[in-house]
Amino acid sequence: MLVLQQLLNGLSFGALLFLLASGFTLVFGLMRIANLAHGAFYLLGGYVGVVVTAGTGNLALGLLAGAITVAILATGVERVLLRRVRGNELAEVLLTIGIAFIVADICLAIFGGNPMTLSVSEWLKGGISLGVMPYPKYRLFIIGFTVLVGIALYIFQKRSRLGAMIRAGVDDREMAAACGINVDRIISGVFVLGGALAGIAGVIGAGLLSLRPGADVDILLFALVVVIIGGLGSINGAAVGSVLIGVIDATSRVWFPEFSYFTIFAPMALVLVLRPTGLFGRKV
Amino acid sequence: MTGALGTKAGRFKLLGLVVAIAAGWSVPYVFSNYQVSLTTLILISAMLATSINFMAGNVGLVSVGHAGIAATAGYGLAWSFAQGHGLGTQLLIALALTLVASFVFGLTSMRTSGIFFLMATLALGMVVFGLSYRMSAITGGENGLSGIRRPELFSSYWMYYFLVLVVFVVVTAAIWVVTRSPFGTALRGIRESESRMESLGYNVAAYKLGAMMISGVVAGIAGVLSVWLMEFVSPASAGFLRSALATLMVILGGVGTFLGPLTGATIVSWIEHVLSTYIERWPTVLGLIFIVVIVFAPDGIGGAVRAWWQGRRRRSDREVARSSGSAVSADMARSPGGSQGTAE
Repeated sequence: MLVLQQLLNGLSFGALLFLLASGFTLVFGLMRIANLAHGAFYLLGGYVGVVVTAGTGNLALGLLAGAITVAILATGVERVLLRRVRGNELAEVLLTIGIAFIVADICLAIFGGNPMTLSVSEWLKGGISLGVMPYPKYRLFIIGFTVLVGIALYIFQKRSRLGAMIRAGVDDREMAAACGINVDRIISGVFVLGGALAGIAGVIGAGLLSLRPGADVDILLFALVVVIIGGLGSINGAAVGSVLIGVIDATSRVWFPEFSYFTIFAPMALVLVLRPTGLFGRKV
Repeated sequence: MTGALGTKAGRFKLLGLVVAIAAGWSVPYVFSNYQVSLTTLILISAMLATSINFMAGNVGLVSVGHAGIAATAGYGLAWSFAQGHGLGTQLLIALALTLVASFVFGLTSMRTSGIFFLMATLALGMVVFGLSYRMSAITGGENGLSGIRRPELFSSYWMYYFLVLVVFVVVTAAIWVVTRSPFGTALRGIRESESRMESLGYNVAAYKLGAMMISGVVAGIAGVLSVWLMEFVSPASAGFLRSALATLMVILGGVGTFLGPLTGATIVSWIEHVLSTYIERWPTVLGLIFIVVIVFAPDGIGGAVRAWWQGRRRRSDREVARSSGSAVSADMARSPGGSQGTAE
């Protein structure tokens, strides 16, 4: 029973990590950059979502508002800044650190330093009986929601024309451009999509973990660990890494609370030493 | 950039160095207690930046986790002080922990490069943060360890300043020597082409590990000095902000330049400690500076000044400047955070 509960805790946290890491890894796959502002995007989306949800009483509107706010910000960041240093990956990554500073600081200025959590709709409150034990509805909702997002992403990537263009860009940017694909526009689109996913993750995550200054860095660490384990650029890898880290984190919080950071780090170190490209990653 | 002191430029540099050290030595005689302490902090930050700069400039690996190594050393010192150990034991424990942390960082650097190294060091730094936060029995948790006293001799703020200044000069000189040594040359060879160095018979992984150990020891020294200055250590000292600020110092000053870390540390520390009393949103200011430098002056202030200097020399002596000028800009184009030859 305890095992089942921890497994579900791990799965729901892993689901949140997937929402977060899928956007991160999508951006990496195409642009070859790690967006270190991803945690700040998560924080901003979360705050906006929490405020809108509290104001309207509608979680869907909150999710939409969080996603759109971050998407607009990401558009600006990509168009105005990242484009200027395109081709120099390290400069792009360092640029995102500067963006993370600013976004986190502006969040502090607007939303203050007190922790905020999502006030979920009535139908998501409380627990539901799973036969052997009651379990929080919201955590089950996260799992369900993420599965839907995951399936949508999968279909989008594998079945749609745009998804095919993205995959072509990931495989060979020059060749894709030569075939008439507007790679610049695809890159913008993917960066915005990644930002929107971070915003959605922020809103969903605000119901599980509280939003506060510094939460952006905490969550960024989880995203990094997940994609390093799963392999940068791989959605499948993000899924496997998320579930792995979610379950490891949930169980270690109960069994070795003092080392809970270490237990998510150990598999990452192992992967880095044995298979630096990650479980599903390809040689860059 | 020849190291020869016989040339005119060499003598000029030596003179500048002597003046700089003399100016550094005079600080406690001229400035107030607060300003001297701020200068001490700047020198310590510059040492941490130097440790990052060593890896970034020579191996081409930019770390965003070095504060983790510094904090590990600091915790080692603080913990053993709290246990009542003597100075020698405190420093030994700090050194041992530094070596362990550097080794772990080094293991990742052996197998990774570029952005992967950056991400791995970021994660490792956060692990130190997490451990110092959670292992409260040893680290004091969120409250950290306070009341750490410096050795008797350096208890006054100005004596401590002199200690830090001497350590800073020694560390910078040591890094200069290592950079000019065959070891440093090999590291730059690895930066240019790992596979070529591999086929030349160099043990690339061992070189990278060695570079990381050297860099880590410098970071550890900065960590110990920082704890002595603050008489306090907390998880925040290992946090992402500290690491990112140290990296910002390096970028700001110019990757691979010797005075870069000091220049960058001066500006960043000034914003963090002086400007912050006037402007509440100082992290935004730092973020904007980060962005502006990367977009408009990718070789940092040092690189911009050097480009200007080269340009002036080129005008006065076209023939000589053409060879050295192109060498410098080629060097910058390859340097991490550098542009595609905007310095030309």
